[in-house]
Amino acid sequence: MKRAKILAMGTAPFVFDCRTTASLMWGTVAALLPALAWGVYCFGVGAIAPVTASILGALCGEAVAAGLRRRFTLLDGSAFLTGLLVGMAMPAGVPAYIPALASLFAVAVVKGAFGGLGSNWMNPALAGIAFSLLNWPSEMGTWSGSGRIDAIAGISGATPLGYCRLHAASGPGPMDILSAAGVKFSPTDSSITDFLNQGVFSHLGADLPGGYIDLLLGNKNGSIGELSAILILAGSVFLIARRMIRWEIPASILGTFALLTWAFGGLAYGRDFFSGDILFSLLSGSFLLVAFFMAADPVTSPSSKRGMLIYGVGVGAATFALRSFGASAEGSAFAVILMNCAVPAISKLDTAASLRRASRTKPAALEGGE
Amino acid sequence: MKPLSTFRHGGIKVDTGSNWEQRGRVENAFLPNGAVLLLKQHAGRQARCVVRRGEYVREGMVIGRADGELSANVHSSIPGVVRDIRVLPLPEGGYAEAVVVALEGAFDRLGRRAERYLWKSMGRNEILATLRDKGVVDTDLPGYPLFDLLGERRDTELLVINALECEPYLRAESAILRDRAEEVGEGIAILQKVLTPKRTVLAVGSGGAGEIPAVEGMQALERIAFEPKYPQEMSAQLLSVVGGKGAGGVGTTILKPSAAFAVYEAVTLAMPMVERYVSVGGGALKRPAVLKARIGTRIGDLIEECGGFRDAPARLVLRSALRGHSVYDLDTPITKTCSAVVALTAEEIGAQVRTPCIRCGRCRAACPSSLEPDMIYRFLEHRMPARALAVGLRSCSLCGACGYVCPSRLPLVAAFSAERRALADSLPAATEASV
Repeated sequence: MKRAKILAMGTAPFVFDCRTTASLMWGTVAALLPALAWGVYCFGVGAIAPVTASILGALCGEAVAAGLRRRFTLLDGSAFLTGLLVGMAMPAGVPAYIPALASLFAVAVVKGAFGGLGSNWMNPALAGIAFSLLNWPSEMGTWSGSGRIDAIAGISGATPLGYCRLHAASGPGPMDILSAAGVKFSPTDSSITDFLNQGVFSHLGADLPGGYIDLLLGNKNGSIGELSAILILAGSVFLIARRMIRWEIPASILGTFALLTWAFGGLAYGRDFFSGDILFSLLSGSFLLVAFFMAADPVTSPSSKRGMLIYGVGVGAATFALRSFGASAEGSAFAVILMNCAVPAISKLDTAASLRRASRTKPAALEGGE
Repeated sequence: MKPLSTFRHGGIKVDTGSNWEQRGRVENAFLPNGAVLLLKQHAGRQARCVVRRGEYVREGMVIGRADGELSANVHSSIPGVVRDIRVLPLPEGGYAEAVVVALEGAFDRLGRRAERYLWKSMGRNEILATLRDKGVVDTDLPGYPLFDLLGERRDTELLVINALECEPYLRAESAILRDRAEEVGEGIAILQKVLTPKRTVLAVGSGGAGEIPAVEGMQALERIAFEPKYPQEMSAQLLSVVGGKGAGGVGTTILKPSAAFAVYEAVTLAMPMVERYVSVGGGALKRPAVLKARIGTRIGDLIEECGGFRDAPARLVLRSALRGHSVYDLDTPITKTCSAVVALTAEEIGAQVRTPCIRCGRCRAACPSSLEPDMIYRFLEHRMPARALAVGLRSCSLCGACGYVCPSRLPLVAAFSAERRALADSLPAATEASV
């Protein structure tokens, strides 16, 4: 053996958990792929074009923004994830330049200009989505549908959420409006609904109307990635199990939103308080995708349990308010952006709480050192 | 079976070393050709050197005399000639004089039948005096001499024998407890005589609780089996489970089985502290083992006895891969507090790609002191140390759990320990004022 070989030094700890920032980002990308695959299956291979354009736009933005700071960060997956999320929020027939520019703006301006990964105060994907909604409202509101979707959902040119909002006065609830519009629910929907009604709900004295299973599985019109609620939920279970996101945020968003919908959601359809259709509101639109994959982004949400609750309640309430009174049927994206702005204030509360707690605990004696 | 105990908040599960057989080898190391005996292997001032260059020393002869409080005698671990007395850097920081002894002559004790002293007829003060003479120190950093540690404690509440090793590649304490149970038991009995604790608790890992034979001294012992969760072995986490009300302070003494073993050797065999068990492990080693080595042996010699390196080591770490100190060469000597040598491969350390904090909250979930390491780090990054201390850095025990889980590989622990050291150097009053 060689004597006195010089070895590299370092400071403790010398061993690490296998997870890295890049593995967390690519893991989140993987969690989104089932929902994306369903979208491509529904809208046809053409739906890949806007998603690809969006990812390329995001990667270009990252390359430029990080390049200006003499860094190379494409492999950490964060820009790819932003691009994918923006692409998945697009209607299938959108011209490719819209998602490309939206992602470029999201990554280069909203993230890069504030210092890149970890320094942005607004979720870049949501910023990109808002950017395209504000600049190209007509293209972003064109739900062409194609192939499978038209055959199943029956109403072309609108999402269930948008259609019901537009025709709220005509019926007692969203599902009745859809039925009145001549929407034929899929055979899968009716067989599962029947099965559930006979097997489970009849014993509880309840009855599940048709249509909800279609919303859950994704037999509806909408943006490429938001169709299948069940695949989005499956991806979120994976995220939460691997601690990529904290469950407190989506849970408080969903809870607040469901509660408000139940209490006040029926009013728009000319019904009483406490008669809102919770299931329809949760399962339609981009709500679930936004709640799990964008609102829970750790960079732009609070870190303490209490902060997460404040934030989640805020997002849920703002989503309900924007969906009810806003300019468009979709409110969740702007609701999260609104609460992103409140995160620095919430973090100040966290710091104050830590100061109070630390002043009560006694200093630790050091072990095994010094 | 009783459920395994553990502390409440935070903690991490660490892979404790996959290339280690369930029952690691426990062997006596070869006697070294030379020994480098640091004169500071204890908490206090370095011992005063009492030998000169060229002088002949016998095995177990005092070469350094304790110099004041918390200082301890240092004995020669081998017979030989003092070749050199020089100043060496300590792995844990600072410098100390070291006596370099080259092997020569015959061993006085080795290979002879050990004499047994009847400690039961010895008084408390006699036992303490023996521990001082034989240079017995706590076997963990900072190495409090047991004379000082135990001397001020009497009629205490609690004695904890801490055999927990929830970190990678540490096996020495469980090996001693398993293979030298009788001696450890006698050591515990001696400690009980000195401390007269109301309770004595043996803290063991999940696997080893059943194997230990009940020997004298271990009879009056409460056994608690713990979940393998780091940092269970640190005193705050240990006492949160073991201790009742009023745990901590001078009423509570926590020692490792190796310390009880050293007490046994010093008191019943009148043997100075010239040997210790060292677990030599890590992915870079061919055949990891627990070796009984003479103090002052080069770590390179121990590694050679474990078959040398299988892969190139990327880091050579003393004591602990999570809290220990890295060393830069193989000539670093074993000290009384050096419980482990861990040779890690580049693969085990992983690519150290530092990325910005993404506020994922893993550090908060891992912190056993319920702190917010990301917040503390952000204040330090912005050169606001007073703020960092005020939001909890003072309660940080530097266990390294946050650094272990951080996906961004931020130098959290390095920043915290640097600030804690700066704090320790400044006057406490000044710090309070600045906060």
